[in-house]
Amino acid sequence: MILHLALLVGLVLFSVLAILARDLIKSAICLAAASLLLGIIFFRMGAPYAGVFEISVVAGLITVLFILTIALTKTEGDVRESKLVRMVFPLFFVIFALIDALVMKGLLAKIPMLESAARGGTFSDVLWRERTFDLVGQIAVILAGVFAVLALFRKRDPHD
Amino acid sequence: MIFLYLALPLAVAAVLPLVGKVSKKTLPDLLGNATMAFLLVYTATGAKSLLAGGPLVQRLDWFGETVNLQVALDGFGLFMLLAVQLVSLAVGLFSIDYMEHYGAKANYYALLLVMVAGMNGLILSTDLFNIYIFLEVAAVASYALVAYGLEHDELEASFKYLMLSVVASAAILVAVAVLFGMTGGLSFAAVAEGLKTLPARGVVAVCSALFLMGFGLKAALVPFHAWLPDAHPSAPAPISAVLSGLLIKVSGVYALTRIFFNIFGLTPALSQVLMWTAAVSVVVAAFLALGQKDIKRMLAYSSVSQVGYIVLGIGLGTPLGLAGGLFHLLNHALAKGLLFLNSGSVQQATGTRDLEEMGGLARRMPVTAGTSLVGALSVAGVPPLGGFWSKLLIIIALVQAGEGVLAVIAVLASVLTLWYYLILQRKAFFGKLNERWRDVREAPFWMAAATVVLALLVIGMGILFASVLRTWIQPAADVLTRGF
Repeated sequence: MILHLALLVGLVLFSVLAILARDLIKSAICLAAASLLLGIIFFRMGAPYAGVFEISVVAGLITVLFILTIALTKTEGDVRESKLVRMVFPLFFVIFALIDALVMKGLLAKIPMLESAARGGTFSDVLWRERTFDLVGQIAVILAGVFAVLALFRKRDPHD
Repeated sequence: MIFLYLALPLAVAAVLPLVGKVSKKTLPDLLGNATMAFLLVYTATGAKSLLAGGPLVQRLDWFGETVNLQVALDGFGLFMLLAVQLVSLAVGLFSIDYMEHYGAKANYYALLLVMVAGMNGLILSTDLFNIYIFLEVAAVASYALVAYGLEHDELEASFKYLMLSVVASAAILVAVAVLFGMTGGLSFAAVAEGLKTLPARGVVAVCSALFLMGFGLKAALVPFHAWLPDAHPSAPAPISAVLSGLLIKVSGVYALTRIFFNIFGLTPALSQVLMWTAAVSVVVAAFLALGQKDIKRMLAYSSVSQVGYIVLGIGLGTPLGLAGGLFHLLNHALAKGLLFLNSGSVQQATGTRDLEEMGGLARRMPVTAGTSLVGALSVAGVPPLGGFWSKLLIIIALVQAGEGVLAVIAVLASVLTLWYYLILQRKAFFGKLNERWRDVREAPFWMAAATVVLALLVIGMGILFASVLRTWIQPAADVLTRGF
């Protein structure tokens, strides 16, 4: 229980740091740390596949992409944020934490316990047999992403 | 074979970039428009007869293996599909000439088709998580399309749109997760069934609020509208037409209506919240539209206001209110699509979007001016055009339900609507011809043709409103009043 609590607190802490950090590299590393903790939580709650994806893709792959991109771009002077913007996030965070503390416990008590093991059998069964339509959607999202990159990074052809 | 609505645009989109290597313009134009034309013809002929025996559920096998590829179609879905295919075909035709100077046409059509596939997928899905995924498909394609011109303000508008849209998606996803946690199911039927047996009114209220915020942002209801007047004018005109004509309705109004009517069931409290949010949108956005100098910004604020009318009718929840709201959805999709396309013609001819600089363009661009007048009068609710009948139905329904205050608001706001559309027409098309525009020419063939087709449809909706109401709107409204 204490370990679980520590993991959750760490998750929230690193997520907040990721938003508040001024340095983009530090921000990316904090995000990776947060998703590593989230991955461990997934493992402990009996969702190994979610844990594996969270750690390999979000903590690993995406962090590498972030850091590569940051390394490839040049810093051209600091962009100063207005004070208002800096105030907004902590304010929202406090409000959210308050609502969370007041409402969530009551809500969670009402939610019936569902069996934790996947009903449909193994991971591949669930993915291929039950959530197949999601996969079509995923393919479409990937297509949209690829076309978006092609469109936004295209060279404008003077003959067009 | 309703899976085609999803598979065909995706398959064509996937090969388009390769086709673009061979032929830069002709083949992408042809493939893109042929796909959309096929889907429209299929909707109007084939799919309609499929529904004769009631709602349809299709399941696909993957090379003999049973997989869960399930799509469903009912009257409401078919009606939305019709609106999507109608406007997207007009937009595709308009793009043939309009997108010439943007370049990379194959890529443009690919994104447009992915967006159409996303909207079709959303309409056909029977499951909360599928709704979320297809919402994202359409949204990701639309971010790229808003920024398609690659100028500074287009990129900025796209970024703002992206940020607010992500907030909306997060709210929707949290609500879906909570519902899944409570009921153990994601399909509409399973969640609705699960909620019946649970004593969890508080949780449903929280989820309703999250959905209202998420889909309200997607539909750009006041106070969640801040992104739309930036995003919609910045996009290339045909994309503005799809965004304002379709996307806010499919990913906002349709999804909201499906969930509130077919899963939660419309409670009196929810109905009041929806109607008053809508009424605020109608009035606030109408006033904001009045003060605009940019033709596309004015149209964008008008969209916020008109989506308010649609939600007002649907939120009322009576059979007449639903019919009025849905009919207004179709009328607004056609008329606003038309008006945005016309604004594109004007911008291409004159190089400006500023209403103050225009004037007297009707002499140089008679087709654009004429079709624009038809669209404007329909949205403003002038008889005998479609918009008049749909607003009339909404107002009668409000009066019948004893919502006199809302009915008065709806009437007064439609006077405001007429006012700003007359300002638009007068400043852009009537009056003395500004000397600068002496050499301006009418829009090229395909652009003019697309607007003429839409204008004829807008007129047709008005004249044939009784039969449109009977064949398309009534089956859709019936699905909502009956529930699942």
